[in-house]
Amino acid sequence: MRARWAAAAALAAALLAAAAPLRAQSAREIVDRVDRLLRGASSRGTMTMDVVTAHFSRSMEMQIWSLGTQYALVRVLAPPRDAGTATLKAGQEIWNYLPRVDRTIRLPASLMSASWMGSHFTNDDLVKEDRLIDDYDIAVTFQGPRDGADVWELTLTPKPDAPVVWGRIVEEVRKADLMPVWARYYDEDGDLVRTMEFSDFRTMGGRLVPSTLTVHPADKPAEHTTIHYTNLEFDVGLTPDFFSLQRLREPGR
Amino acid sequence: MTEHPWWRIGRRSLGRNRRRTVITALGLAFGYFAVVVLIGMMLGIVSEMVESGTGIVSGQIQVHAADYLPDHSVYATIGGDAGTPVGPLLDSIAADPAVLAAAPRVYGGGLVSTGSATAAASLMGVDPAREVRVAQLATAIVAGRLPRPGERALALGAELARRIHARPGDTVVVVAPAADGSLGNDLYVVAGVFKSGVQPLDAGTALLPIGVLQTLMALGPDRIHEVAVKLADPYAAPGVAARLARRLPVAGALVQPWTVTSPELVEYAGMMRASNWIVLVVVFGMAIFGVANTLLMATYERRREFALLLALGAAPRHIVRTVVYEALAIGVVSLLAGAAVTVPVLVWWHRAPLDLGRLFSDFTLAGALVRPVLKTDDPGAWSYIAAAALLVTALAAAVVPAFRAARVPPADTLAGR
Repeated sequence: MRARWAAAAALAAALLAAAAPLRAQSAREIVDRVDRLLRGASSRGTMTMDVVTAHFSRSMEMQIWSLGTQYALVRVLAPPRDAGTATLKAGQEIWNYLPRVDRTIRLPASLMSASWMGSHFTNDDLVKEDRLIDDYDIAVTFQGPRDGADVWELTLTPKPDAPVVWGRIVEEVRKADLMPVWARYYDEDGDLVRTMEFSDFRTMGGRLVPSTLTVHPADKPAEHTTIHYTNLEFDVGLTPDFFSLQRLREPGR
Repeated sequence: MTEHPWWRIGRRSLGRNRRRTVITALGLAFGYFAVVVLIGMMLGIVSEMVESGTGIVSGQIQVHAADYLPDHSVYATIGGDAGTPVGPLLDSIAADPAVLAAAPRVYGGGLVSTGSATAAASLMGVDPAREVRVAQLATAIVAGRLPRPGERALALGAELARRIHARPGDTVVVVAPAADGSLGNDLYVVAGVFKSGVQPLDAGTALLPIGVLQTLMALGPDRIHEVAVKLADPYAAPGVAARLARRLPVAGALVQPWTVTSPELVEYAGMMRASNWIVLVVVFGMAIFGVANTLLMATYERRREFALLLALGAAPRHIVRTVVYEALAIGVVSLLAGAAVTVPVLVWWHRAPLDLGRLFSDFTLAGALVRPVLKTDDPGAWSYIAAAALLVTALAAAVVPAFRAARVPPADTLAGR
């Protein structure tokens, strides 16, 4: 009898130990994982960006490289008018290369929140300066089935004195594969500013990622910008040396 | 016409103690002078502010697309996405007789960089020939010159030029989001540097030929964001704006006078008008006691005379009238003396403003640049208001002395009791 109880206790302990990683999946870890999803330690890829506004529609192809949160390089491949235009983030500095005039200029910090290439993304979005888990307090505000999937809804509120632009971010993440479904960004007054939707989940570079991101500005319902990753590789061995001003000016690398 | 006896008695009483009369009249005359000159000076400051606030860049009337303000969207051009032919639009504005000049403008935001230094700047596309007639900004060149029409050149604010280490002859890159979503960028020669004295303009504005900026921002030649209008009389702006709004050859345009676009200037002018009343009340409020004191002394000295008149059958109201007429006579004399000094001083000061530039530098107030120049403006109706206040002061000062004189007991006074 005692042996049976001991065996049952051992089995229960083993089951609990196996389940521990899932239960320990804290809100902070979920957000961190989603935050790193498209970045990895380092990454390389190509994408298209389609911008639809009330005044114009345009499509661009880009090549991207990133290393952690500190380094990123984005180079426009098409259309011809913009080809070669590149943006480099190295540490706290943002640089643009303008092939038409063959000049490299440093972007003032005041323009980090300005639109990038006429899209609904800002310079800050493209170089992804923020680390969400460092700057926000995170709480699970809903979990359970929604729209046919078991999901977490996570609410991120800025920590006191955190240098962030959003008053609140609400994200929905699928429990099954930790894929983000959408993220809603609110200003300090609590008004919705934009919604980002994630879709077209595919395995790229050995990991499942949402290969399409669409951002909808709340005040312009008819407008949107869609980024579609056509190729992504992760942990490609980039070093900080790669993200140099010389590299910024070199097309085709 | 026969002079009324009570008026004659009052008027003649002025000569009984001429020194006292002169001193009293001088006090009132100086009060009038002080009030009118002070008000003229304050109106001069307001006028300087309005001229500066509307003359440096905005003009006295602005024409925009209805949805341009407050977001300053690059797409909100006059006439919508198609724009409007600029020539006929300017002609229709210039046809108004109150309009001195009108200038079209295109605005954008972007970066100006020398390579080693970069700064965010407001880009202002102007027609140089028209702009110099509307905005002092275009004439405030301190080095080089304004860019010529069609020239790939720009003029930088002095502080902006200093921050990016640019001088006339240097080449800079200008980057601006274009209307087609692309990132407009090109090289431009620094033609000149301007210094308006208004810090936000000098630190963050670049002037480019309008067509050049339209090309950079992928805007057609018919697409402009603003027409700035200069008037001969800034205060005529509301009426002229209403007239222009009816005759513009483009639908959906908003025509706004400076009184709408610069409410802070209107509020400041209103505050100055209110303070004119305070000056008036304080100065004549002080004067009233001096005049009352003089009249009290004068009537006390003439108690026996009033007693005799009352004993001879004069009614107390006649005594009141005599004293009131005397005060009124002092007021009239004071007014004539005050006006005789005030008018020439006002005219001289208006024509030869006092420049305090050696002691004080320019400063901004309510968003307008104010030069340290003390000048007077025509006080207009305030001259008459001050004149009326002077006479009211004299009359009010006579009330107590008059009634005291009218209540003199004839028998006791004549008996020396």
